Amino acid sequence: MSVTKRANRQWLVLLSILAVFGLLAAACGSDDAADTATDDDTSTSTDDDTSTDDDAMADGETKTIRVAAVANGNVERMAELAPEYFTPESGIEVEFTILDEGTLREVTTRDVAAEGEQFDVVMIGMYETPQFGANGWLTGLNDLAAASDTYDIDDLIPAVRGGLSVDGELYSSPFYAESSFVMYRADVMEENGITMPDAPTWQEVADIARQIDSDEMAGICLRGKPGWGDLGAAFTTVLNTFGGTWWSANDDGSIGTSQVDQPEFAEALNFYVDLLNDAGEDDAANSSFNECKTLYEEGKVAMWYDATVAASLFPEDVVANTAFALAPTNLTEGSGWLWAWTLAIPTTAADPEAGFEFIDWATNAEYHELIADLDGWRAVPPGTRQSLYERPEYLDAAEAFAQRTLDAMLAAPIDNPGTTPRPGLPGVQYVGVPEFQDTGNRCTEQFSAAIAGSISVDEALEACHAIASEYNG
Amino acid sequence: MTAATSNAPSREEQVKALQKREARRRRLPLLPALIFTILITQIPFVMSLYYSFTDWTVTPPSPRTWTGISNYTDAFTNSFFREAAVTSIVMTVSSVLLSVILGTGVALLLDRKFFGQGFVRTLIITPFLVMPVVAGLVWKNQMFSAAFGVINWLLEAVGLEAVEFASKYPRWSIVAVLVWQWTPFMMLIILAGLQGQPASVLEAAKVDGATPRATFFQITLPHLRPYLELGVLLGSIYLIQVFDHIVVMTGGGPGSTNVPYFVNQRSIGGGWRFGSASAFSILVVIATIFIATFGLRVLSGLLEGEEP
Amino acid sequence: MSGSNTGPVVGERKLGGYLLSALAWFVGFLFFFPVFWMVLSGFKTEADANGPPKLFFEPTTEQFAEVTNDTTGLLSAGEAFSNSFWAVAISTVLVMLLAIPAAYALSIKPVDKWRDVLFFFISTKFLPIVAAILPLWIIARELNLLNTRLILIILYTAMNLPLAVWMLRSFFSEVPRELIEAAQIDGTNLRGQITSVILPIVAPGLAATALLCVIFAWNEFFLAVQLNPIEGSTVPIWVTGNVSTRGNFLAKLSAASTLATLPVIIAGWLAQKRMIRGLAMGAIK
Repeated sequence: MSVTKRANRQWLVLLSILAVFGLLAAACGSDDAADTATDDDTSTSTDDDTSTDDDAMADGETKTIRVAAVANGNVERMAELAPEYFTPESGIEVEFTILDEGTLREVTTRDVAAEGEQFDVVMIGMYETPQFGANGWLTGLNDLAAASDTYDIDDLIPAVRGGLSVDGELYSSPFYAESSFVMYRADVMEENGITMPDAPTWQEVADIARQIDSDEMAGICLRGKPGWGDLGAAFTTVLNTFGGTWWSANDDGSIGTSQVDQPEFAEALNFYVDLLNDAGEDDAANSSFNECKTLYEEGKVAMWYDATVAASLFPEDVVANTAFALAPTNLTEGSGWLWAWTLAIPTTAADPEAGFEFIDWATNAEYHELIADLDGWRAVPPGTRQSLYERPEYLDAAEAFAQRTLDAMLAAPIDNPGTTPRPGLPGVQYVGVPEFQDTGNRCTEQFSAAIAGSISVDEALEACHAIASEYNG
Repeated sequence: MTAATSNAPSREEQVKALQKREARRRRLPLLPALIFTILITQIPFVMSLYYSFTDWTVTPPSPRTWTGISNYTDAFTNSFFREAAVTSIVMTVSSVLLSVILGTGVALLLDRKFFGQGFVRTLIITPFLVMPVVAGLVWKNQMFSAAFGVINWLLEAVGLEAVEFASKYPRWSIVAVLVWQWTPFMMLIILAGLQGQPASVLEAAKVDGATPRATFFQITLPHLRPYLELGVLLGSIYLIQVFDHIVVMTGGGPGSTNVPYFVNQRSIGGGWRFGSASAFSILVVIATIFIATFGLRVLSGLLEGEEP
Repeated sequence: MSGSNTGPVVGERKLGGYLLSALAWFVGFLFFFPVFWMVLSGFKTEADANGPPKLFFEPTTEQFAEVTNDTTGLLSAGEAFSNSFWAVAISTVLVMLLAIPAAYALSIKPVDKWRDVLFFFISTKFLPIVAAILPLWIIARELNLLNTRLILIILYTAMNLPLAVWMLRSFFSEVPRELIEAAQIDGTNLRGQITSVILPIVAPGLAATALLCVIFAWNEFFLAVQLNPIEGSTVPIWVTGNVSTRGNFLAKLSAASTLATLPVIIAGWLAQKRMIRGLAMGAIK
């Protein structure tokens, strides 16, 4: 009996040790949380030796804001420059969380929608901004912008500003913006005696692609990787100009019924898949911006229809051989998309002024000059401000594509991209409703499988119609 | 009379009390782990259960109203979910079986003395230690890729056509990577079994003139059974949850969207329909418990053991 | 096999042995090749990595320098490794502290219905973690645990506990009853029984279990990215932070992956023998 009693006591001791440990851990945990909630920097106290927490608190000098942003070159460059060029001036430290596009959407949408209060500034796209703004999840920027000497809201390219506003209130500030156009190898066209029109139709582009296509060089590179922002974006611009759409619109602008079963939709998808099969890049079902960019730079494709921002990322020798044409059309006048990665402040953010101070720094014209000084004018994040396209230095450095980019952005038909009424406007390469994300993702998985040839186009259409119909209003 | 009746139960009570105390004493060491697990896993489960009866969507924001069992009736008629379930089953069963078979083969190879035995074993266990996300990316971009992949480069070198593995055969490409990662694990378990084989029995078989084949099927394999069962059980538990590989290799689609990917897509992966997604996950739990109860009965050896 | 099948021809048997050894080496290289290629790519330039396969190239450590380069405000390699280390180490210790007594209560002095309890532990692994993420996130938000190491420690403990309980239970069943009874008669208390009788016997099993917990926790990505993308971020997040949607990343990713897998690979290499002995123990009952 005494053995068991002692055993009992042993276990009690162990249990209480565990409990104490748990409590300690919990205490540490909530300390962490409290620290971050008060915008007090925990990392300075552990990593840096410049100032202790107490100093910072007493002086009220160091604030920390937390920013979630997408992983790409322009953003990473900005994150590198912030500690050197933003923090000393503003006294605000910026902690970045850089995530890939898909994860960023998951994290930021949940954070702003369910009030996670994890971030002071989030990078979102042109697709999310009007929706989040209308839901009341974002801080309006008009007043903050008006109070700034450096921001100059009227300098924003009107189409971009329009796409990021709800009822005249700007809800996010564009970091860079893009349209879509055709990039092609001028030298290859010349060798083959082909003249590419300035504003080609899809039929012309397809004919040229099939004509050029050879074993060494594919005719055209198009996105085929699943995702509403990958294949979904490129394909929807084709769909629009072929007269198709994802859903009809009710009178109040809400989602009507799925239009995926309509002949125009089938025509567009057949056109896209056939073109890729006949004259597209290898492994098109796995290709998106990155893959196409590599193939184009290596001379394995003669044409590439994608984002205008690509031009600013090419090496010099590639730019020299490249010419540009507007996004191809069929039934509509223009078909280029409009996209921007933008910075926004969730309504739950503790210190919107500090957040805007950072947004201002990262997206104003002075930032353009900073990048120009450090990396050259060609590396400036394009597409957001008219002033950039008025600067002779920029037009000179980016001569090959600057005007084309601006033209494409101005021509993007954001208020009426197709031939029939549709929900979710403005928006070209997406339908600006929350339901499109799921529909676009799952349908493009089907389309991608059709491109790979593992299912037929008809099977893909049937599945996609079922998916889109889940959301019929 | 009264005394007798009051006496008898009191002795019984004493026995009962003793038994109770004994039971409690036995239970005590179990409690920390049990309570911890219940707290951490059952609270989310109950919350999911509650959400599954609502129409909660995050965007567009919904008031989260009670909708009864409508999520469940929808779930039962969802053909995409059925497809995902089939994919899950095929993927799990084939990758578990293949890695067990391959693992057995490799273990047999490694169970002999030869130059560099330890080194080769070290090489082979490495894939199991690689992060799933990294494994998926490396295979997709550096092995399978039609443009830069080593496999296609070899195929082309011997005059064959390049194959777009990940997009043409999404399901089997993923299975291949899973088998690559889990064969080492199975190999370790089976090697453990082989090394636990009593040498005297093998010796006796040899003396009796049994062929290696007969020795393998009649002595080694029966001896390996509990090890194989352990491998199948652990493999199934982990492989049915496969998610990272699919995200990075195919991004879902016909043939590669399994149940976890399907559920994720319906919740934070773009669908934002938490009510509906929760209903699907509850169904998954019920189905898995059902299958597992059945499965564990088949894997008799693992739950055998004398009763107290 | 068939060679030795035909008869006692010594030369043939020897040849068969060489062939089998060669086959083992070949299989070893086959399995290792993708890892080798990953390491190799870490020493390439992006241009070399994003091109046709190249075995010979001018090696550069540029990618390693770049991925370990600290930028204020961005998750640095050092931070990620230290966060991972603590999350993995503490959670594994916790798992062991919880699982050892539980395994005792399920094998040596089993509670009533120990099968049901064991099944319950395993059944907690059935809820797809992707499905539980939202409730978990809400709980974490309410308890102010988002972006703390603590939330990962708690969840990694819960994630690995069923596995540990399962494995340790079968190891404990291996301990000869007589030894425990003898210790009891000597008046050794429970802790004494565990530390002086049981643990020495099951030590390889403990090591195997702990190593598996370490591997699974070290490589865990989904929970880390969903609940803890900011402070206390772990190594897998640091690795995938090198995946860019606009620009080539294979060489950088390979370099980061190489560094990230190094600790578990070394641990796995060092502990493989123990692991085999441990697993040998566990499957029998």
